[in-house]
Amino acid sequence: MQLLQRQQAALCLVILCLTEEQDLVKELLAMSARDRTRAIRDLPMSFEEKKHIRLLLKSFRRAGYSIKSARQTLELWQGIMKEIGGKFGSSVLSYFVFLKWLLMFNIFSFLVNFGFITIPLLVYDPSPNIPPNVSFRGLELLSGAGYFTYTVMYYGGYNNATTVGQVEYDMQLAYFFTIAVYMVLCGIALIFSMASSFRQNYVLADSVSDSAWQLLCSWDFSVTNERAVRQRRNNLRVQLKESLSEKDQEELLTLSEKLRHYGVHFGSWLLSTGLAVGCGASIYYLYTENWSLSQEAETLLVPFVVSLMNLAIPLFYSLFNKFEHYSSQRRQIYTLVVRNVFLRLVILAVLCYYWMNVVAEKFSCWESMVGQALYRLVIFDFLFLMLGSFFGEFLSNVIGTRLLPSLGVPEFDVARNVLDLIYAQTLAWIGIYFSPLLPAIQILKFFLLFYLKKVSLIQNCQPPRRSGRAAQMRTIFIFLLFFPFFVGALSVVAYTAWTLSPSEQCGPFRGLNSTFTVVEVWMTDLEGLSDSQWVVWIYQHVIRSELFYFLVTLIIIVIIYIFWQVTKGRQELIRLLRQQIINVS
Amino acid sequence: MGTTASQLGKDLLSEYQELTFLTKQEILLAHKRFSELLSKDERNLPNTRVSMERILTLPELKSNPFRERICHVFSTSDQKNGSLSFEDFLDLLSAFSDSATLEIKSHYAFRIFDFDDDGTLDCGDLEKLVNCLTGETDDTRLTTDEMRQLINNILEESDIDKDGTVNLSEFQHVISRSPDFVSSFKIVL
Repeated sequence: MQLLQRQQAALCLVILCLTEEQDLVKELLAMSARDRTRAIRDLPMSFEEKKHIRLLLKSFRRAGYSIKSARQTLELWQGIMKEIGGKFGSSVLSYFVFLKWLLMFNIFSFLVNFGFITIPLLVYDPSPNIPPNVSFRGLELLSGAGYFTYTVMYYGGYNNATTVGQVEYDMQLAYFFTIAVYMVLCGIALIFSMASSFRQNYVLADSVSDSAWQLLCSWDFSVTNERAVRQRRNNLRVQLKESLSEKDQEELLTLSEKLRHYGVHFGSWLLSTGLAVGCGASIYYLYTENWSLSQEAETLLVPFVVSLMNLAIPLFYSLFNKFEHYSSQRRQIYTLVVRNVFLRLVILAVLCYYWMNVVAEKFSCWESMVGQALYRLVIFDFLFLMLGSFFGEFLSNVIGTRLLPSLGVPEFDVARNVLDLIYAQTLAWIGIYFSPLLPAIQILKFFLLFYLKKVSLIQNCQPPRRSGRAAQMRTIFIFLLFFPFFVGALSVVAYTAWTLSPSEQCGPFRGLNSTFTVVEVWMTDLEGLSDSQWVVWIYQHVIRSELFYFLVTLIIIVIIYIFWQVTKGRQELIRLLRQQIINVS
Repeated sequence: MGTTASQLGKDLLSEYQELTFLTKQEILLAHKRFSELLSKDERNLPNTRVSMERILTLPELKSNPFRERICHVFSTSDQKNGSLSFEDFLDLLSAFSDSATLEIKSHYAFRIFDFDDDGTLDCGDLEKLVNCLTGETDDTRLTTDEMRQLINNILEESDIDKDGTVNLSEFQHVISRSPDFVSSFKIVL
């Protein structure tokens, strides 16, 4: 007995020593090199033990370096991003970083969808059952209909089988859960990146971030182009002068001038809202009217008009902006962004309303129809983005250098391009339920878009003249991506799954009342099994009960209130400490 | 520690990796670019220093408004002429690299902005800083009144102990509130 106890004690000591060693190594790794050598010398251990620690450290650091160099070589587009950052600065680079980030979402979505939904179907039924009189013509690439309707591209190509080969694989559950889990993971990823970006860029920087000191300290050392440096210096001087005289200017405005400015603002807002609502109404009208065009041309009409509006109307908004007077450049950019976002939300809302209410009643395999409509929108969006690059950058460059030299070479409009990306991604998110392989098209589109924009940027644009607030703009873009667009896409998909009845003849959910009944059926199946009772319990008492959500909301509100009070207390503490520093020195 | 033009020894490379924030590829690229600045016979000598004029022919530093200050800060030469050895060059790239910490960057930024090397940023340093960033010629400078007002604004915002100068801790405090600093204080070969 005593021997056993002694052995146990020895084992505990060894484990304790090992964990202590691990903690020590971790602490030493976090120090700088000089501190590390000093700290090792300070350790009260024998020479042998110190040599052992030093060897451990060396091997850890070697491993860390090799991982870092491996990751650097594997990273996509690393060299191109460095080149763009060096020539054009960090605000233009943020567009390309955002594009790469969205590409990762789509790659993940494609792998998940292809792996869990498409591969089982291909194993079960390798050849798609296409009716005999339909063959592949080139037009399908543009319209998405015809041959593609019967393939695995759309919802209609999937069936509701429960066994695949020898394995029991419930296709309905797989379809539902793959899409649901993907959307939830996207939401979580967006919330986390939004929160961390917000914490870094907004909370730490207070309201004095427009100050002269911040402007001076944020000089972009990575800009190497001589002309870019000269222009930035000029603009910095103008910005400094503006910030010095801003306070005087505001007081000098007379009442009549202020009224005039407000009137112009009001008029612009009215006009832009009217334009957006008009666009929405005209799209609805286009859909419901009967045109005497051929069937294919009719399907191509609405995506064409939508993309044309997305290209042309923001130009009008920029035009209004020139006539308005803004107190700061930042407010000008935000107003433009808000108007563009509103336009796109109206268009998307009208489209979704039409699909949910009219298409769902009219057609037999309506999910495939919606999937095709989204496919066409994605393709036309890409074509018009290419056109937009041509007009926005190439033609502006030609006009600016040859015809009207006073306009000058155009700059890369980061805000407009990022909004285009957000809109494109929203289409993909809405389309995931109706067309599981749409992310593949999106991946191709983003890939081509990267190279297109890079070439257009380098050939046609000059580096931005003002130093952009890249970090803050990035926070706002992620917030925009999440809040109206992702949440909207999620609500559309959720509404479809919850309320609308799936089509009778095609798709994995045929015959059910709503998509969500799949889960209910599964729960009733599970009730029969004795060892899965906990799943059924969770479903009935957590997911379906309203009391749970009410309690969770209440707790979250209380926690937010507590954190808010703590923040206020800390601000007061900072003020007191500052006063103390002045008093002491 | 002599280095030949064609290769760095493996021990030297791992030592440089340990002492700087650079990766192996970055160190090798820096070695290549540094050797291109040396003439043929200088390449075989150990511990050669490159004069400031030749360093400033590098495209990454050529148009930088702070190029001379950067060379002076990172130079360890006894004659204080801004010449850099290879290790000084690596030090420079390490401080300006992607993975350098905020403390290192703000420390070196402070030293670069401290034009008279007295350890604090006083009105003279701030004036030279503003002139450096806005332009050298007479018609691009700010007027004396504007300069005075600007320096007053700066001191009001960052001088916490109200002694009329900005010391390192106050500078680092201001920098920590600027989220763009880390991404703009970067020079990559």
